[in-house]
Formats: sequence, structure tokens, C-alpha cells
Amino acid sequence: MNDEKRDGQAVSAVAPMDGKLLELLVCPLTKGPLRWDRENGELVSKSAKLAYPVRDGIPIMLPSEARPLD
Amino acid sequence: MEQLFDADLALLHKKRALKQGDPGARFLMQRAAADLEERLATVERRFENAAALFCLTSDAAMAMRESGKVDQVTRIEADAVLLGDDGIVAATETLPSEPGSHDLIVSLLSLHEANDVPGMLAQIRRALKPDGLFLGAMAGAGTLQELRESLLAAETELSEGAAPRVSPFADVRDVGGLLQRAGFALPVTDLENLTVRYDTMFDLMRDLRFMGATSALVARSRKPATRALFMRAAQIYAERFSDPDGRIRASFNIIWMSGWAPHESQQKPLAPGSAKMSLKEALEKNRGE
Repeated sequence: MNDEKRDGQAVSAVAPMDGKLLELLVCPLTKGPLRWDRENGELVSKSAKLAYPVRDGIPIMLPSEARPLD
Repeated sequence: MEQLFDADLALLHKKRALKQGDPGARFLMQRAAADLEERLATVERRFENAAALFCLTSDAAMAMRESGKVDQVTRIEADAVLLGDDGIVAATETLPSEPGSHDLIVSLLSLHEANDVPGMLAQIRRALKPDGLFLGAMAGAGTLQELRESLLAAETELSEGAAPRVSPFADVRDVGGLLQRAGFALPVTDLENLTVRYDTMFDLMRDLRFMGATSALVARSRKPATRALFMRAAQIYAERFSDPDGRIRASFNIIWMSGWAPHESQQKPLAPGSAKMSLKEALEKNRGE
């Protein structure tokens, strides 16, 4: 899969993310903090080098679904 | 760690059950949710930020909202399909919440299929604010014992040996110990015994399938079970566990757990040796009165 297409899909799926909910979440692998990447509609875990998708406002906190960052 | 349950298969069962959406098979969850509402009603507290952790259906979250004690409920499930349109998807047996982020966490009828119950409890305890409450229900020892016995007897009769077909369930006393080990204060467990009656064993198995509660044991038999096995098991079930009117009994023993994240305001036992009066004195004083 190429990255451009992937990002395109992610942007179209961006739904408003509840700020309060975001405060409660951590990376399930490292239990480290997450950063909300508005542009890509992803939750970025710096410590695990993963970006978790948010689809229809539902954060998918599964390492298998996350996009690896390098 | 040894895996007792196949988490993927268990999730598949739940998703299939949701798709079939048989309303009759929801009775166990609905009853647990009603119990939950009742238990919450007795707590003199308001909870701002609650989580319904792997509660499978929306029943638990609804009961929490209707209890009038909870401001906000976040559903956490292992698959987006179970959520509908709101919540968080988390991997099996992981709780992706900041430490101290909830003041109430509820888990209904799923912990008995967790491979690492102490680990789950530790995560729950960590995600709770000080003085936050955990309320959970899971199937305990004795659940489906009639089915277990009937299948075991039929299979040993018809083949050499038997495969496990009903999950092992925890004993209520052990669960209390687990809560304590996970660091919960004032841990309480109790047992709710429920007997459900069916016409035949097949009706019970049908309900279990519609609950998504069929066996997901890693050690399950990979050979397809024969019709003869189930026919014989149903016969044994009817012989051993039926009421005079011919209907069969099925036990569901639900263990309820509650525990608080420790906080200074909670009552604590005094340190050993700190007593100001000996037991002998106390008893004598009492007798004199």
C-alpha cells in the first residue's frame, strides 16, 4: 500500500475526537503518552513509534492496526 | 504464560452472537446489568468518569447511565463491531487508560475468559483514581457443571478419554485473594447462583452459542464432535439433572467482585501490636456489663 493513499483515507475518516477522552488514553504497548495528530487523524505514540488510527471517532488502540513510524 | 483461551476465537464467537442478535439469549447479561444498577444504587458517591471494560454489549453502559450515579461512561471493547458508534477499541486483556483516569471501572461477564486475570485486575487498579471503584462480574466455579459432567460422561463412554469442552471457572475464595493481590482496598466478593431451565441440552447449547459463550479453550478437541456424542450427552443430562416435569437445569454461578483503589480516607486495620487494650481485658469488660 502506498503512503499517499493511506493518508488520504485517514483524512477522510477524521471525526472530532473528544478531548476529555484523549486525556485518558495511553499507548497500550508502552503505557506512554499519546499525541493527537489532527492532520492524519491518528494518535501518535512516540515511545512505541506507532500511530493508532481513529475511525469514525473510535480510537483503535491495537498495535496490529497501527502505522509504524520511523 | 500458558494460554488457556483462544482470544481470537472468543472474539469471533462474540461477534457472531452479536450478528445473530437473539434477544432471548441476552437474559444473563441483562440480569447482570440489572444487578449492577442495584449495586451502584447503594454506593453513596457520584462517579465522573467511568469505563465499561469488555462488557460486550451496551447493557452495562446503559445501566451505569441509568443508575444516576455516573456522569460519563466510556465503553472499551476488543472490536469496533461490539461498540457501535462510540468508545475505544483495545487489544484483548489490555486497558489503554492513563493511570488514575477513571473513578469507576465495570466489567461484566468477560473476565472468566481472560488468560491473565491477575494482570487484568492490576491494570484496572492502576487505571483507577485513588478511592475509585471496581465492580465486576464473571462466571465462577460450578457454572455449567451439569453440561460439563454430561459431556464428559458421554465422551468417555463413546471414545477413549475426553477433551475439555467447558471452561474451568475460578472459585469465589480465590477471586477475593486475587483482588487483594492486585492492591484493592476493602475487597468484597459474593456469589449469585442462578438456575436456568431448558427443555433439552440442545436448547442450552443454542443459548450459549447466541451469547457467544461457546468454548474457546486452546486445548479444545480439534476433531469435530459427532452427533452421537451430543445425543448421548443430552440423554445423560436429562437423566441426571432434570426436574420432575422433565425440564433440565443449568447452573450459572456469577461471582461479583468489588474493590477500591486505596485512599487515605478509607478504613484500615490497625498495625499489629498497636492495640491499647488486650483481648483478655476487652472480653472481661464485656462480660461485666
